[in-house]
Order: sequence, then C-alpha cells, then structure tokens
Amino acid sequence: MTFFAPFTLPFIIGAAVMAAVLVAKYTLWTIHLPAEDKRLIRRNMFSAKSLAAVWEVVRESLLHVRIWRVNPMLGYMHSSLALGWFLLIAIGWIETVAYLGWGWVPLQGHVFFKYFMPVNGIAEHKAGFEFAMDLMLTVVLSGVALAWIKRMRSRLMGMRRTTRHVAFDRIALSALWFVFPLRYVAESITCAIYGGGSFLTGTTGKLLGEHLDSATLDALSEPAWWLYSIALGVFFVAMPFSRYMHIFTEIPLIFLRRYKLAPSVEEKSYDNFEVEACSRCGICIDPCQLQADLGIDDVQSVYFLRDRRYNMLKLATANNCLMCGRCQTQCPVGINLNTLRLNSRAKLRNIPNEGRYGYLAGLDRSTGEGRTGYFAGCMTTLTPRTLAAMNAIFEAAGDDVWRADSDGGVCCGRPLMLSGETAAARKMIDYNTGLFRRHGITRLVTSCPICLKVFREQYDLDGIEVLHHSEYICRMIESGRLHVDRSDELYTYHDPCELGRGCDIYDEPRRAIEAVGRLAEPEHNRRNSLCCGASLANTVIDDKQQRRIAQRMAAELEATGAGTIVTACPLCHKSIERVADCGTMDLAEVVAKNILRDKR
Amino acid sequence: MRSIRFGYGISKPRAIDIDSNDLRKSNEILREMPELQTCIGCGSCTASCTAGNLTQFNFRRVHTLVRRGEYMGAYEEMNKCMLCGKCRLVCPRGINTRGLAMLIKRKLGDF
Ligand code: SF4
Ligand code: SF4
Ligand code: SF4
Ligand code: SF4
Repeated sequence: MTFFAPFTLPFIIGAAVMAAVLVAKYTLWTIHLPAEDKRLIRRNMFSAKSLAAVWEVVRESLLHVRIWRVNPMLGYMHSSLALGWFLLIAIGWIETVAYLGWGWVPLQGHVFFKYFMPVNGIAEHKAGFEFAMDLMLTVVLSGVALAWIKRMRSRLMGMRRTTRHVAFDRIALSALWFVFPLRYVAESITCAIYGGGSFLTGTTGKLLGEHLDSATLDALSEPAWWLYSIALGVFFVAMPFSRYMHIFTEIPLIFLRRYKLAPSVEEKSYDNFEVEACSRCGICIDPCQLQADLGIDDVQSVYFLRDRRYNMLKLATANNCLMCGRCQTQCPVGINLNTLRLNSRAKLRNIPNEGRYGYLAGLDRSTGEGRTGYFAGCMTTLTPRTLAAMNAIFEAAGDDVWRADSDGGVCCGRPLMLSGETAAARKMIDYNTGLFRRHGITRLVTSCPICLKVFREQYDLDGIEVLHHSEYICRMIESGRLHVDRSDELYTYHDPCELGRGCDIYDEPRRAIEAVGRLAEPEHNRRNSLCCGASLANTVIDDKQQRRIAQRMAAELEATGAGTIVTACPLCHKSIERVADCGTMDLAEVVAKNILRDKR
Repeated sequence: MRSIRFGYGISKPRAIDIDSNDLRKSNEILREMPELQTCIGCGSCTASCTAGNLTQFNFRRVHTLVRRGEYMGAYEEMNKCMLCGKCRLVCPRGINTRGLAMLIKRKLGDF
C-alpha cells in the first residue's frame, strides 16, 4: 500500500515546512550561542542533568504540572491538548504497528490511518484501539472547547484577562480550533461508510449512516478529509511563527536550563529559546499590579516577549515594568522575565561612554578599617531613622564597623543597570569593589535590598560576606550578641521585591521581628507579596500611579490590624509611609527600639 | 573650611533670547513629561543628589536650563547622574525626575 491520496498533500507540505523551519531556527540559535554556553552544554550533556531534563519535559510539556498548580482549569486545558494530542499520535503509531508490523509506513499513513485502513483484517484488538483513540479525541476536543470558552470569557477560567494576538497567532489558532472537530467529522463519515469506531466516532457514524444515504456519504468523505488535512497543513506552516512555537521550544529550553544556561545582562542567542518558549498563556497578566491597579494592559511580560520576538519592542514598553518579579514566580515555563526585560533595556539604551564618571577617580574620602563594612545605600540616607537604628545596633552588638558611604558614597550601580545602562553601572561596580577591598573588610552589610542584589549578583566580592541588615540583625540576636526585649506589640511585615523574590530572603526579617514582638501576615506575602509601586525599575508611571499602587498594598497590610508596618527597604519604607494610616518602620528601627542595654 | 553648598545660589539676571534658544527639544521634553511644568525650582532634587554630593553637578540647574532651551553642556552634565532615584523621592511636586534624567539624555544625546 502506498498510503497516498491527493488530500494528504496539504498535510505533507505543512509538516515539511514546519520541520525545516524548526531545524533552521534551533540550529542557528545553537550556532550563535556564546562559547561559554557551548562549553556548559558540552560539560553537562552526558550527566544526570539530561535525565532530569527528560523527566521535566514529561511533567511540563505534556502534563503541564506547573499550570495545574496555578489554575487547575487552565491546567486541564493545556494538558488535555498536549497530552491528548501526544497520545493520539502515540496510540495511532502503535495501532499501525499492530496491524502492519514494523515495516515503514509514511507519516501520512499514521495520521490518516482511519482513511487508508477503515476496515482491517485483525479484529482482536480493534475495539480497544478504537476506544482509546476515541477517548483521546474526546479529551482533546474538550480542551479545544475550553480554549474557545477562554477566548470568549476568560473570567470563567479564573483569569481576568486573556492575551491579544498577532496575525500568525490568529491563523494558527483558527487552524488549531478546526483541526480536531474536522478530524472528528472525517472519521465519523468514514465510520458511517465502513463501520468501526467507538463511542464517539462510531456512534456519530451510525447516526450519519441512518440519516444519509451511501452516495451522499461517499461524496462527503473526500472533502471532509481534505479539510482536515488543510487545517493541519495551515497549522503546521503558521506554527513556527506563532505562539505555538512554544510546543517544541520548551523542550530544548528545559535541557539548556538544566545545563545551567541562563540569560544575562546582555542579550545573547540563548534568549531566543526563552522568548519563543512563551506560550502566551497570559498567566503573567493577572499578578501584575500595573494591570490590576492602574489598568495598564500592554506592557506585561506576555506582551513584552511578543513584541521582542517580532522586533516591535518599544522602549516605553520595556521601561514600563516594576520588575517586581510577581509574574516570573507564576510563569509556568519558568522564563527569566526580569533578566530578559533588563537586557532588552540594555540593548535599547546602553550607550558606552568611556569618559563618563571620570570624577569617580580619587573620590574615596573615607577613613578607617574594620571587619564589617556598612554600606547604607543612597536611599537609606533619606531614612535617617534607619541609619540611627543601625548605629545603635552596631554599637549594642559591639561590632567594629567601617562606614562605606557615610561621606559621599557612590551609587551601587543597580539603578543604572535597571535602566539598561550596563556599561555605566560597571564603573560604579568597579569603584565600589575597589573601595571595599582597600578597606579590607570581610563582611559587608547593607540596608538597601537594591544594593544587596547587585552586590551579590554583579560584584566580584570573593572573601567578603554580603549581608542584608535583616540577616545581620537576625544573626546578632540569635548568636546572643544583641539582646532584645520581646513585647506584645503586633507588627506586620512587607516583603520588599528585591529582598524577597530578588534575593530569596524571607525568614530572617520575620525571625528578627518575632524576637521583639508578634507578627501578623498580610494576604499576599513572601513569594506573592505585592510591590510598593516605587520601584526604581519603572521610569514611566507617574507619582499618582505610584501612590495608587502603594495604597492598595498598604491597605492589605493595615487590614492585618497591626499597629506598625515593618519593612526592610528604604524605598518601600518611603512609599508606604506616605499612604499608610498606621506607623511605618524599618526592621532596624523596630529592633533598635527594643535593645536591652544593661544585659551586655 | 569648604563653603556649604545648598544646591542653589543667587543667579545673575538673565533673559531668554528666542533667537538663540531653540525650544524644539525643550518642547519635546515637556510634551513627554508635562509634569515638569509644575516644578517650583525648590532645589530639593539638587540638595539630595548623590552625584551632586560628589561633583558640581546641579540637577535643578540642568533641567531648568534645558527647559529654557539652553542645552549647551547639558548632556555632559546629565551624564554625571547615577540614576539613583533619590531626587524623585524628595521632589515635593512628585515629578518623575529619574525618568526626566533619562529623557534629557535621550533627547540631547546628539547635541
Ligand atoms: S511569560 Fe510565562 S506566564 Fe507569561 S504568557 Fe509567557 S509562558 Fe505564560
Ligand atoms: S515584573 Fe511586575 S510590573 Fe513587571 S510585568 Fe511582571 S508583574 Fe508586571
Ligand atoms: S525637587 Fe522637584 S520641584 Fe524641586 S526643583 Fe527639583 S524637580 Fe523642581
Ligand atoms: S537620580 Fe541622578 S539626579 Fe537624581 S539624585 Fe540620583 S544622581 Fe542625582
């Protein structure tokens, strides 16, 4: 049997185009990977990491476990389509093998098996196969139905907003919507003529057979299979240029990520894998406060990635993001959304200027040495009570501290970085690194999570332990160097984005607060905490908008009934302070207030 | 003793010469950031400025001159800014000064 019929041509051509484009894309991206990334691949390829990646592919590309966790309804939609389709193909393949043996059958033979072999000789397993295929088709059709509903009414799916699409998406989406209903129709007609099929296609086939005469059925059969093949072909051609590119791209992405590849502050070829692995599921839209509080609905990660992918990214879109990371914690594909946004900004804005910041040379006016260096951070100088509290704590703990930026400090560089001026930020980084080394510190404490993040990620501070003041204070209390009094006062704590999601520090501030009082948690906390709105990463929204975001989040903190809102970032402090009705304090202040002096 | 710089001083009287002051860029900047019109020239931005603490850079002076169409040297001056964002926190008019710093650089980059 040749397994050829003219109607299979659209499918064959579509599949060939898709395969060619996929191979071309992945090959080019891989060739253009920086040497360091290629080395990582070579080093890790033949290790347990690959096995772990295979397992993750099953979990995420087929079962979509992470989406299930965010939203079960959406999870069902994704896995019914992905797993259902995969099983249709897999069972279809086994079916062909069962009937025809291991001999080679062309692709269209598998896909249109029902057409080519409506009745076949072996009856024993037939009912089983027919049932399995019908079951899978039902599962996929239910997924398609949910996708329709999601498009019409995303609220039913537990999402407030759904994604808007570009032209290729529309083509692919429409084709995909029709693929399975058309398959259902075509198979049913074939069943009507030849019999067979199970509860779905078989029953429908019987119904059709009762109502239509065989001449009509014969006339309908060919066109139905043509339409099914065309829908498949159109989908395959549009697929590599549409959001559905994610179906395959997630697989190499999972492997590369296991091999420790990651995006960095400069754009690189690896980013393509992340950008095109976005399924535009839209899960990142709801957590975004720009959307929820301000109604801004064209800058969220899904739109940012889409614009970047199609080369239509505007600076205003790239800049309009708090980089709070709330979307990143929810993204089921685990895309490094913040880093990608950052390197897009760098690409659009980074203007290397060698002469810049020449004034930094010979600036260091500070004196002294000390085991511990304290870098308050620019913002902390605007919250002098925090500074005073830190002084009291250092004194009470009996630590010998050298102040790195009390007499005209240089910015840590993170704000420049957040604005995409990576080369300029380097100059701050080099200056401060030199400063820390010159004063021979072994420990660096900062009160600003923004500084902390850049110290940890971009500075080369081998041999210097970098701590946020919350970690430092917690350690001092727990090691018995700082004695505090525990009162009955009720506090609530706001997780600063850069400290929590940014540096993964959630427990130390809580332990420190619980050492001096009671703690009440707001509705959104830890990984889900809200942003205060004043983030340096956003240079687009204005004062009123910042205030509105702050009001919403402060209201949640006040709802805990706590008398004082505690935070651990001077910027959050400032922005909560101006909208909250109750008091706002830095963690250091709260602890300093309760120091027991006589115990020392 | 070093003299104390409050971030402002007494300026010589000056007039805007429309023939020599090309307001095109200034208008563009004001169109993108209309809130700059509400600046009261209080100088808080300059007083809190991290870069101003280390150099003669005076942000209020730069953005005021730019608004008047006097761009000479503004880009170079603006490049001293570290984008730390303190000025935005202290501005009593809630002007997005950090965004302004970036905007001025973007608009005057080719001057
Ligand atoms: S970025 Fe992540 S959460 Fe957002 S649409 Fe893409 S895959 Fe979904
Ligand atoms: S990082 Fe925050 S502000 Fe930016 S898109 Fe994600 S949720 Fe929105
Ligand atoms: S702080 Fe604000 S109002 Fe005052 S001079 Fe600067 S920009 Fe103008
Ligand atoms: S952002 Fe620039 S102008 Fe504003 S305070 Fe910081 S260094 Fe000065």
